[in-house]
Amino acid sequence: MKFTQNLNLNKRILLFIIPIVVILYAASGFTLYKFSTKRVMLVAQKEMDVLLNNLSETIQIVENQTESGFSNSDYQILKPLFNQRAYYKTDFPFLIDNSGRYLIHAFKEGQKVPSAILQQLKSTSNKQGVISYFDYKDGSKQDMFFYFKFVDQYKGYLGVSVNKDEIFESISQNKTMLIIIVIFASLIFLFAINYILKPIVSIINQVNAAVNSLASGKTTDKIDYQNNDEIGQIVNSMNNLIDSLKHKADFANEIGENHLDAEFINLGEQDLLGNSLINMRESLKLAKIEESKRKQEDETRNWATFGLAKFGDILRQNNDNLTKLADNVIQNLVSYLNANQGGLFIYNDENTENKHLELISAFAYNRKKFFEKRILLGEGLVGTCAVEKETIYLKEIPTEYIRITSGLGEAVPTSLLIVPLKLEDSIFGAIEIASFNEFKNNEIEFVEKVGESISSTLSSVKNSIRTNLLLEQSQQQREEMSAQEEEMRQNMEEMQATQEEMARKTIEMEGMTAAINEALLYCELGEDGSIYNPNNNILALLGSTRLETEGRNIVEFIHSEEKGVFQGLWSDVMNGNSSRSTMHWVNKNGIDLYIVVNISPALDDSGSIFKIYLLGQDVTESKLIELRAQKQAVELEESLLEIRVEQELNEQREDEMKALLQALDHTCLVSELEPSGLITYINNKNTEVLGSKKEEIEGKFIADLDYIAKNKPAEFKKFWDNLSSGKKQSREFSLTINDKEVWISEVYTPIINEHNQVTKIINIGFNISEIKQKEKEMSALVAELEILRKKK
Amino acid sequence: MVVTDQDLQYFVTALKNVTKYDFTEYSDKSLKRRLLKVLTDFNLDLSGLITNIKLDNCFAEKIVKEITVNTTELFRDPPVWHLLRSRVLPRFKNNKTINIWHAGCSTGQEVYSMMILLNEMDMLDRAKIFATDINTDVLDTSKRGVYKYRFNIGYLDNFDKVIKQNPLNFEEYNEVPYEKYFDIDKLKDTITIKKFLTDKPIFRKHDLVKDGNLFFAKFDLILCRNVIIYFNYNLQNKVFELFSSNLYPKGCLLLGMHETILGPWANKFEKIGQAYVKK
Ligand SMILES: C[S@@+](CC[C@H](N)C(=O)[O-])C[C@H]1O[C@@H](n2cnc3c(N)ncnc32)[C@H](O)[C@@H]1O
Repeated sequence: MKFTQNLNLNKRILLFIIPIVVILYAASGFTLYKFSTKRVMLVAQKEMDVLLNNLSETIQIVENQTESGFSNSDYQILKPLFNQRAYYKTDFPFLIDNSGRYLIHAFKEGQKVPSAILQQLKSTSNKQGVISYFDYKDGSKQDMFFYFKFVDQYKGYLGVSVNKDEIFESISQNKTMLIIIVIFASLIFLFAINYILKPIVSIINQVNAAVNSLASGKTTDKIDYQNNDEIGQIVNSMNNLIDSLKHKADFANEIGENHLDAEFINLGEQDLLGNSLINMRESLKLAKIEESKRKQEDETRNWATFGLAKFGDILRQNNDNLTKLADNVIQNLVSYLNANQGGLFIYNDENTENKHLELISAFAYNRKKFFEKRILLGEGLVGTCAVEKETIYLKEIPTEYIRITSGLGEAVPTSLLIVPLKLEDSIFGAIEIASFNEFKNNEIEFVEKVGESISSTLSSVKNSIRTNLLLEQSQQQREEMSAQEEEMRQNMEEMQATQEEMARKTIEMEGMTAAINEALLYCELGEDGSIYNPNNNILALLGSTRLETEGRNIVEFIHSEEKGVFQGLWSDVMNGNSSRSTMHWVNKNGIDLYIVVNISPALDDSGSIFKIYLLGQDVTESKLIELRAQKQAVELEESLLEIRVEQELNEQREDEMKALLQALDHTCLVSELEPSGLITYINNKNTEVLGSKKEEIEGKFIADLDYIAKNKPAEFKKFWDNLSSGKKQSREFSLTINDKEVWISEVYTPIINEHNQVTKIINIGFNISEIKQKEKEMSALVAELEILRKKK
Repeated sequence: MVVTDQDLQYFVTALKNVTKYDFTEYSDKSLKRRLLKVLTDFNLDLSGLITNIKLDNCFAEKIVKEITVNTTELFRDPPVWHLLRSRVLPRFKNNKTINIWHAGCSTGQEVYSMMILLNEMDMLDRAKIFATDINTDVLDTSKRGVYKYRFNIGYLDNFDKVIKQNPLNFEEYNEVPYEKYFDIDKLKDTITIKKFLTDKPIFRKHDLVKDGNLFFAKFDLILCRNVIIYFNYNLQNKVFELFSSNLYPKGCLLLGMHETILGPWANKFEKIGQAYVKK
């Protein structure tokens, strides 16, 4: 019955109860029905029996009066009796013989009873009874009872057929009634069940919902149920549970909101949750107390640290100005401590005779002896404090010692704190603070700490000038030292580099000296010109030994013609300059020597000569060659001069020619030919007059173009032969160009070189068409030209 | 620590690749010592140094400054100044202008010595002074003209020797007060060149290896003293060529006390004592 588990209670109850009720009613209905049927049947039987007995008695009586057997008279007498419907509406009593033929019947006489009846009658031995059968009347099947009684007298049966429906008519009326009652009762039952179950189920549902929401941690409202039944009790405990949970939740909330004193009554010793809530509250209360304690400690600590930082800043910012520093410190200290007044004393030991404490800053100070800014060590409270280097804290202050001026007039402060300013073992001063409040331990500690910072600042401020000076100096010295060190190192390097350079030079010099000794003439000279240290080369040249040479004067070897020149040179040297010249010497053997000499003096620092070097090279051979060449050169020079004159003339002529040619070019037809007859050039005038283009003419042979060459070859040949042999030729001819007769007069001039060869032929032509009459003038010009040519 | 040829080459190549400086033709003995010094001063090994050079151009520049040797003095080597006074400068006595180039002037003492001498010879107003160095730090010092006093007490001796005395004539003594040219502050330990001197010269950064002639002018006198000792023969000749081509004919070149022109450029000059005169 799994599915029923998912049904809710209401439905489940209905599901079981309704069938039971229905079955119950059905069963009772059924038995009732059975009982009444039987009774009806019995009643019917009895009635029918009575009827049939009455009839049979009547028959007996009738028989007794008549002949035996069924006779007409019997029929006559009996018939009316059978004509009334007896007892039931459907039945007419009847009489049948044993073959089943109706002897008497209201309207069926002569017919036979249904065969079903007859069969049963014959098979029964009973004289009286009932047979159930089906009659088919009007096409419908009818359930019928047939009551019968054997009639001895007639050997037949008395019978009555009754429709069963008729018999049970009363019962069937009862049946409908019954059904109606059943339905009605069922409805009432259903309604009743609903009426009874619904509230229970809804309460259960509510309880269920409440438990559910409690289980999921929600609170719910109480369940409303008035009845004091079992459900009422459940609801009640439920409500109690809800109530207490709500209460606890509220309580927990309160705790959560830190209302640790919230009202809470637990449900007894067994109330686990309640107890633990209370425990929790207690431990929270404890924690809270602890926390606030710690907070307070933190606060004090923070107050101290913050304060120290603050004073650190103050000290740092003002450590170049003592009074400003002190003012700042004391002002801030008094307000930070919530005190009322304070002063800062500095220990002044500059003057060893007069060491004292000096009040350098005060805040709201009304010290009685304020004018006494100086306090000797050991004098009064402050002086004592400075000597003992211990904090003094007084809660009872001598009345006359100090007063605090406030809005309420003057009053003696409640507490007085004097803290020494000390660092290690040395004292730098003291701080005095007065207040209407008592100082807490931590505040005193704080002031002592600040005191230390002040001391160290004071000490550094005091020392700073001196230290700074020292520091600066040593720093500077260090820098200087390192700069100097670097400079020294550089000097060293320079010396070393110089030495190396010199060593390099020496090597080179040595090499050079060796080379000089090998290749050159070398000796040193005294200031008078005497020879020292001659090398082998010079000795060999001079043809004498070292002994012979050393100490002799250089002048002795100089050619007499050049002695004067040497004197000049020598005085140059004596002036400190080196001089160089080619000199003519004569050696011991009278041989002419030509030497290039370089004489240089070596000067000392003061510029005076300490040594004179002579370096020389034998250039005799080349000198001789040179001399020879010189002679030739003189001759050459003379001819060169001539050539130059000639050249100049030529240049002049050329210029003239150029001008002339230019003029010619404008007026004449000019062409140039090679001796072969190849035309190499024609000028613009030529093309202008003759109408043909440059490129048609240049590069062609005259023999192929010339009119005469084509038409009178013999004449042209002669003309050309003459030219070729160097004879100038002229000719005159006319052409027709553009229907115009043009007269040209040409002069062919062969150019002849120094070997009498014709190198070029120049043709100059004139357009003489209009000026033929000027022919003479032209030929004059040509003649002039000819002269010019010749000159060239 | 030893600096090998290989090390030196790495270093020089690194510098050459990263900066515009070329130390290839410097005298390697000296350069090695300088490199060693730099390595110890900066507490680096060679690869560290080279990495730093490659990463940081400023560092490279700094190293170049560390490498150079800037030793100098006021009137360094007095005989040279005597020579200048008696035989070189008089050659320009009649010039309208005298162009002077101090190549490798270092911290400027040589420049101011020259100017003081010129002033004493009444030639300063005609002189145009150009001074160059590869190291901009020393140029800055040059421009300021402030030197340590105590450490450089020798300056005044030199001054006396060159300006006050005459070696050719011991009788002669010119009383020239130091205050004419310097302010000496013994407390601050400084010797400060007077403004009329520091204002005049044109100081420029110039690299003799690469930069040619910066000034588009020819010179009557070039001083390049104690610079070529740090160069090898080849580079020396290159520098001689540069000087030779930028001197007027008859112009003078003055090298350091122990520096000489040998080799191809020697016959382009005539010598007057220490001085080389362009032929
Ligand atoms: C020793 S100092 C000479 C100072 C001065 N001339 C003297 O003799 O008193 C050498 C100077 O040459 C500079 N120097 C080195 N290499 C250079 C270069 N390639 N070009 C220009 N100056 C250079 C250095 O910076 C240094 O200041």
